[in-house]
Amino acid sequence: MDLIEIFQQVINGLSRGAIYALIAVGFAIIVNVLKFSNFAHGGVLGISAYAGYLASSQFNLSFIPVVLIGMVTGAIVAVLVEFIAFRWIRMQKGQLVYFFVTSVTMLMLLEQILVIRFGSFFDTYPYDLIKVKFINIGELSISVTYLISLAVTIVAFGLLIYVFKKTKIGIAIRAASNDMTTTSLMGINTGMVIIAAFVVSGMMGGISGVLFGISTSLSPQIGQVVVKGFIASVLGGLGSLTGVAVAAVALGLIEVFLVSTIGSGYSPVVIFALMIAFLLLRPQGFAGVSFTDKA
Amino acid sequence: MLEINHLHSGYNKIKVLEDINIQVPDGKIVVVIGRNGAGKSTLLNTISGLVKISSGSIMLDGEKLPPTPHRIVARGITQIPEGRRVFPSLTIEENLIMGGYLATASEIQKRTLEVFETFPILKERFHQQAGTLSGGEQQMLAMGRGMMANPRILLLDEPSLGLAPLIFTQVFELVQQLNEERNMTIVLVEQNASIALNMADYAYVLEDGKIVIEGTGKDLVVDPRVKAAYLGGVVEE
Ligand SMILES: Nc1ncnc2c1ncn2[C@@H]1O[C@H](COP(=O)(O)OP(=O)(O)OP(=O)(O)O)[C@@H](O)[C@H]1O
Ligand SMILES: [Mg+2]
Repeated sequence: MDLIEIFQQVINGLSRGAIYALIAVGFAIIVNVLKFSNFAHGGVLGISAYAGYLASSQFNLSFIPVVLIGMVTGAIVAVLVEFIAFRWIRMQKGQLVYFFVTSVTMLMLLEQILVIRFGSFFDTYPYDLIKVKFINIGELSISVTYLISLAVTIVAFGLLIYVFKKTKIGIAIRAASNDMTTTSLMGINTGMVIIAAFVVSGMMGGISGVLFGISTSLSPQIGQVVVKGFIASVLGGLGSLTGVAVAAVALGLIEVFLVSTIGSGYSPVVIFALMIAFLLLRPQGFAGVSFTDKA
Repeated sequence: MLEINHLHSGYNKIKVLEDINIQVPDGKIVVVIGRNGAGKSTLLNTISGLVKISSGSIMLDGEKLPPTPHRIVARGITQIPEGRRVFPSLTIEENLIMGGYLATASEIQKRTLEVFETFPILKERFHQQAGTLSGGEQQMLAMGRGMMANPRILLLDEPSLGLAPLIFTQVFELVQQLNEERNMTIVLVEQNASIALNMADYAYVLEDGKIVIEGTGKDLVVDPRVKAAYLGGVVEE
């Protein structure tokens, strides 16, 4: 590989990593608040990816509205999943494993809805959704799709940081991640906090679904990319959203390099091996500081 | 006036509280003492709506309390739970904002300044994560966070637990100050019986989920049964 090629791979890797970061953070928000791995997030992502696809292919909407539709769809589907599936388990104070099993079931259900509606084919977003394909700087040609994904991700993260640091409900979501019971003792309606967490998580999932759909292709199984979010949130050290985002970007970069060197067949093997090695060396993840109450 | 009548409560099949009757008149300090496992925290958590009432009632001004913790806080009853329970990954500032969740932005600002006056250390550490505070500092934050709600009735669960004598004197002084200056009603649960009883208008002794002795704070300090069981035979201090 020459320098130009490496630079292009870095851009590809960063943009892929950025999308993974969105997926991972949307996934980790629910892990933090409800303490279970919510694989239904993949289904939210998949439905939103197709919503964006319909908006662009049937209604000829342009890029920004398509992303917004994906975001809104994600929020709605995530809240619906909470209402239909998780709420009942919460009411009965069910064990975490029930949440987990239910979330996997919801992922399959949402996938099946896509199969019924779209068949199990590959679709692609309209070719002209992004008009200019490449920016050429000398010998370097950079994919505009990747740059836009990167930009959208940065805006989405800016929004997320604002919500979590500056709004009362955002801080309450973080408080609930620390200690749900004590959060309720503050006069906070924890039911609303959980719904808010699903809204925020769903928005992130929706945006990531559209971006991932645009930069790859669509199939009803697109939601299974949530596994990447899962990996990143484990590597990042559950609890720290920054750690999770950093791990996701690293994962994207590593993956793009592996695919371009050893091919897409072996790269998942290497990634899982790396993940296990990393967790053996640093079980607390990238960020790995979590404060526990002092007795 | 907070009235607890024939209250029974517990966890699933475990019965903890049995036939509890407690009256908390406005503006008074009511103390509940009892050994480990007597049911003190269960009592406060039942008032706060975290533990379900199996039978009996808890009335505020003759009206039943709402069924959920956040609506009970909205009625003016705030608990500072046992073991501080600050939000470790939130900053001091964010912990205080959560304490004042139901207040307006300007009230939050005003109350934050009051908390700083009481606990200057919290001002110095404003942007530090609460998990990095020492145990004593965390108790100050827990108190400050409770003050942010500016409740009508403040429930305190063993605020002296694990504190150095100097700090817990400060905590008890603050409790009395909140009672005198703001007319805040206090329900204080303690194992540090002598100090608590000395500041109590009225006190109850809880044993094995039942009220076994009650009376004014002054009466209980000199009660031989209380002396023998809770004041270590001789009055400390
Ligand atoms: N979540 C729970 N589930 C089941 N039993 C519980 C639970 N919490 C407390 N208990 C039981 O209820 C009884 C009373 O506990 P509680 O915490 O109210 O005691 P306490 O008087 O506050 O004690 P301490 O002074 O140690 O804080 C104990 O026997 C305890 O084991
Ligand atoms: Mg207790």
